[in-house]
Amino acid sequence: MSTLAPKPTLVTRPVSWRRVWSRRLLIGLVVIYIAILILAPLVSLVWGAFRTGVGPVITALNQPDVLAAFGRTLWISGIVLIIHALGGTVVAWVLVRHRFWGQKILNGLIDMPFAVSPVVVGYMLLLLFGRNGLLSPVLTALDIRVAFAWPGMVLATLFVTLPFMIRELGPVLEAFGVQQEQAAATLGASGWQTFWYVTLPAIRWGFFYGLTLTLARALGEFGAVLVIGGGIQGGRTETATLYIYRALDERDTVGAYSAALLLGLISLILVIGSDLWRRREKAE
Amino acid sequence: MRRRNLVLLLFISLLGLAACGGGNANKEESVTLILAAYTTPREAYREIIPLFQAQWREQTGQTVRFEESYQGSGTQSRAIVEGFEADVTALSLEADIIRIEEAGLITHDWRSKPYNGMVSTSVVAFAVRAGNPKGIYDWADLARPGIEVLTPNPRTSGGAMWNILALYGAAQRGFVAGVPANDDAAAQAFMQAVLKNVTVMDKAARESIINFEQGVGDVAITYENEVLVALQGGQNYELIIPRSSILIENPLAVVDRYVDKHGTRDVAEAFVAFLFTREAQEIFARHGLRSPDPDVLAATTAQYPPLEDLFTIAHFGGWAAATPAYFGEQGIYTLTISRVLGGG
Repeated sequence: MSTLAPKPTLVTRPVSWRRVWSRRLLIGLVVIYIAILILAPLVSLVWGAFRTGVGPVITALNQPDVLAAFGRTLWISGIVLIIHALGGTVVAWVLVRHRFWGQKILNGLIDMPFAVSPVVVGYMLLLLFGRNGLLSPVLTALDIRVAFAWPGMVLATLFVTLPFMIRELGPVLEAFGVQQEQAAATLGASGWQTFWYVTLPAIRWGFFYGLTLTLARALGEFGAVLVIGGGIQGGRTETATLYIYRALDERDTVGAYSAALLLGLISLILVIGSDLWRRREKAE
Repeated sequence: MRRRNLVLLLFISLLGLAACGGGNANKEESVTLILAAYTTPREAYREIIPLFQAQWREQTGQTVRFEESYQGSGTQSRAIVEGFEADVTALSLEADIIRIEEAGLITHDWRSKPYNGMVSTSVVAFAVRAGNPKGIYDWADLARPGIEVLTPNPRTSGGAMWNILALYGAAQRGFVAGVPANDDAAAQAFMQAVLKNVTVMDKAARESIINFEQGVGDVAITYENEVLVALQGGQNYELIIPRSSILIENPLAVVDRYVDKHGTRDVAEAFVAFLFTREAQEIFARHGLRSPDPDVLAATTAQYPPLEDLFTIAHFGGWAAATPAYFGEQGIYTLTISRVLGGG
């Protein structure tokens, strides 16, 4: 396309100055709005962490407690990611491809984690798995510890991240439709083959995007893991976010800011990565 | 290409899983002690724990690993009841230990320890901005219109319960200007006026003072030790001790059920005993806490001046009576806060 060619334009009448200025004003306001909401806290975080130089940040992060907390966050998120990768895909598939009694209720329940406060999620799990909880006799008999241990934290994180995979894959599956799947079936493919060779490749960007959102949310979870885990430092239940909270309580601002910055960076990479996936998805 | 993406993903996930495997420490050479405490004495424990570890190693050759949790006293107490298997718990107030006792987890007479099992004491005091620009010197000032007050939430924080009882007791005893002594209606009106000025109710005392440090409010009602620790840490604000206040007594107990389950009774009891030694008491005193040990207290009176009117929980008939009377469903605090929140 030549740059000299006249641009096709929708507006044929001359654009008034007033319109141009109101447009600029609107864009300016949006930029300021986003800058205040997102950029200002980010800048203050970077400033807070590096205020005393790079050395203290590295020292603050290179502590056994901090490394253990980040490790714990990563592997809890890893387990959650695997479970949702499998479970979320199956649920989305069933909800889109099948009609059954109670489907609407089930569909509504999936959005519940969006609405319920994570702290409440923690308490609900305590009511279920705590010492006085409903499942307490079973857990005691089997000698399984869920509350104040990692299984409870995995469950809490599973709960709060449940909708992301399903809500991301649902529309993608819907848009993909059933023709190609039916064609594969007609050609003699088994259900599994159809899914693996036809459906999955078609929805893969949605799949990755859902995983990224799930991971980002899992890394940042705070309230639910605090209540069900108890935030035991030097022990088994302190995650990265709980460490940040503790460091603030201990007035270790460099520690808190450094850990927050690292967690923020991981999330940022995830968000940018998922945005790239989004674009590839659109491009195809 | 498509396959490779999936394989890569699976690989990353497995890596994450692999990172979770951790080795178990050798049980004979080391023992793990879980300490569940309220939020304010953490700096003191940071100093005391290494001393105890050294002493225990000398006596038994064993290494003690500590796992610590610091949350609001009420939160901590309920967590222990719900299955947080702490070996030793150091809480803000007796009522929170009683809850664990009633759940059948503490079965020994923890009050038989020195000073009725109270490992440290403090008084309810105020933190005000440097130079005290709002002129806050006593309880009556907290009820002035336009004064922004911070105090944590009594539902989760022990310190908050002490705060409420301190202000109510001071009013009942005639130490609040404008409130006649022994006039419960006037004391209640005073409580309501202060609660109306409360801008933020945090989960725990430490969170509340950190919020104050971030610039919220004119005055924070809190433990004296909380302010002293902050001032030691270089914070720039002031401690105000009212004429009349309550003596905060912090209990400590071994949780029988859990130490027996973990086989940690010996080390847990040794740790509790260590906290009552003169050595540990002096460390508590350095971290802003008034020692229940009369000798240590006498040696630190310069830092901890006596109050004109210092009353104890006995003024309210003990915690067993005070908890329902003030924080129960029809308790005086419960009714007052619902009026403040409901009626503005």
